[in-house]
Amino acid sequence: MRRPKYLYGVLAAALLTAVMLNLMLGTVSVSFRQIGSIFMGHGDSQLLNILVNYRLPRMLLCLMVGGCLALAGAILQGLIQNPLASPDVIGLSKGAGLAAVMIILLFPGAPVGIIPWAAFIGASIMGAALMFIATRFELKPTSLALSGMALGAMAGAGIQYVTVKHMNDANTALLWLAGSLWGRSWEHVWLLLPWAIIAVPLLFYLSFRLDVLQLGDNAASGLGLSVRHIRIVLLTAAVCLTGISVAVAGTIGFIGLIAPHMARKLTGPIHKHMLPVTALLGAILVTFSDVIGRIVISPREVPVGIVTAIIGAPYFLYLLGKKK
Amino acid sequence: MTATDAVTRRVFASYLFIGLLLAATGFIWSVSLGVTDLRWNDVLQGLLGGKETKEQLVISTIRVPRALVAALAGAALAVAGALMQAMTRNAFASPQIFGINAGASFFVVLFIVFFPGISSSALVFAAFAGAFMGGLLVFILGYSNDHRTPVQLALAGIAVSMLLSAMTEGFIVLYDNQTKNVLFWLAGAVHNGTWKDVHTVIPWSLTGMMIALLLSRSLTILSLGDDIARGLGQNILFIRLAVSCTVIMLAGSAVSIVGPIGFVGLIVPHIVRHWVGVDYRFILPLTAVFGSVLLLYADIVSRFISYPFESPVGIVTTGIGAPYLLYLLLRRRGRL
Repeated sequence: MRRPKYLYGVLAAALLTAVMLNLMLGTVSVSFRQIGSIFMGHGDSQLLNILVNYRLPRMLLCLMVGGCLALAGAILQGLIQNPLASPDVIGLSKGAGLAAVMIILLFPGAPVGIIPWAAFIGASIMGAALMFIATRFELKPTSLALSGMALGAMAGAGIQYVTVKHMNDANTALLWLAGSLWGRSWEHVWLLLPWAIIAVPLLFYLSFRLDVLQLGDNAASGLGLSVRHIRIVLLTAAVCLTGISVAVAGTIGFIGLIAPHMARKLTGPIHKHMLPVTALLGAILVTFSDVIGRIVISPREVPVGIVTAIIGAPYFLYLLGKKK
Repeated sequence: MTATDAVTRRVFASYLFIGLLLAATGFIWSVSLGVTDLRWNDVLQGLLGGKETKEQLVISTIRVPRALVAALAGAALAVAGALMQAMTRNAFASPQIFGINAGASFFVVLFIVFFPGISSSALVFAAFAGAFMGGLLVFILGYSNDHRTPVQLALAGIAVSMLLSAMTEGFIVLYDNQTKNVLFWLAGAVHNGTWKDVHTVIPWSLTGMMIALLLSRSLTILSLGDDIARGLGQNILFIRLAVSCTVIMLAGSAVSIVGPIGFVGLIVPHIVRHWVGVDYRFILPLTAVFGSVLLLYADIVSRFISYPFESPVGIVTTGIGAPYLLYLLLRRRGRL
């Protein structure tokens, strides 16, 4: 395909820019030189505090959340063989959202640390229900996507019921649902990191199988792939990646939808090349979006999920127009 | 008239009778139910006029418009769904799945945010524009795909709906001073329906349903396939255009008043088609009646969920509709 080396250079530069901007910009701006001197060990202690305890974990979370969501989207698109599949479309995010909103609104006294776990469990329940339906009824992938949508609609109704019932505190829940990285700390980084580390080798293990799966069920099983088995593995991987990123950041939309598209355009459809680029693009998009959300109406913040929607929507529309 | 036709007519007549009976019962039940519990003869007296009492006032200013809004919106959404299913020959076609509800609600929220004092009769036009945009996006997306299947078009619709509702939610979070009313409306609510709402929605939904009935014969032919319809002398382009406008009119006006209530347009036509077959002259009236029935009873159920809190009716229709969608998918899995 096209030249991946050149591409990686550009992506690395973009990533570095996004990372630096994410560290520098915000209510308190930190200049490039100040960052340098802080890393050399002699800098303003207040800036050091901001940088190490707020900006750095947040930036790392952006990278990981973006990467994980993008990969989950790529896996689902390969699995469902439909370019419109994504963790949000098949209802996983809705399951996580329902669990989180219930904790936030029904148990206002609960410690904040529980919310990520609840969200993860919510996404897993949704994934398990989908998997049960898929294996029990041997659904074709596209029907699986629509089943996910039906389950997601039910979770969505639950979210609406709980938020409308507890209207006065609904804003906290809405903010979480919109996807925000505000106030996240190292605790969240440690929560996400092991999963991100597991995801990388998994992705190389799966990439070839995803390619084979694109040939169709018959060809794939003819080539010795256990289609049923590999589908369950892929769906599990997507559920875990989505669950954990939604758990720490709320429902950030569109990354899982558009990052794989961009990557496919840059590297072609072979997953071995495409998956790493997808992850990088996801990370870059979320990191940039987070910066934008922080500076447009500073000192207030636009939730990162809204920024990704605003960036993602036009690209998505462009894709639609382009396809003709 | 063939024998089967006569049978269908009889089936149609009996279901129509049952439907109207259910609708009337639901209407009276809906009017009688609430914080001020009324007895049925109070209700009948209140509906028929008579003396000016407190009960009568409650009935004529709160309960009756609410029930009317539910009945009208239910019929409009269900007929819109039936029209879409006939036109696209797609079992999953409905205002909700094909992005029309989401488009309408996005525009309504947009206009509420940027023109805070906007009147509800102007919001209807915002909803029309949004419904048009949502539907158009789905069709561009769905028909640009080379090997499109019903499920793939539905997936395109879900993606577009998601996009629109993400932007809607974004506006709600950013401009949270009007959030309270909008949130409730977004969940689908008929409980604060007023006479003004009834007057806003009635011309559009009645006109829409009249046009739909006039088109019913052509719809039956169109649902057989483009080639057959063309062979039988139908002007396909014109029919499609007329049907699309009607769908936007029906769904847009309903959504602007009661919010994006889901699944009514999906399940009612399915059930009705199961009873009376493929002839849209029979399907459409029954769809309208049973759409009203569904929303009237869903509204009644919604009041019981956590009485005296008024739960949004949309969660009841989703609670019924989403499992039905799953059932449809599983039953048809061989053919998708």
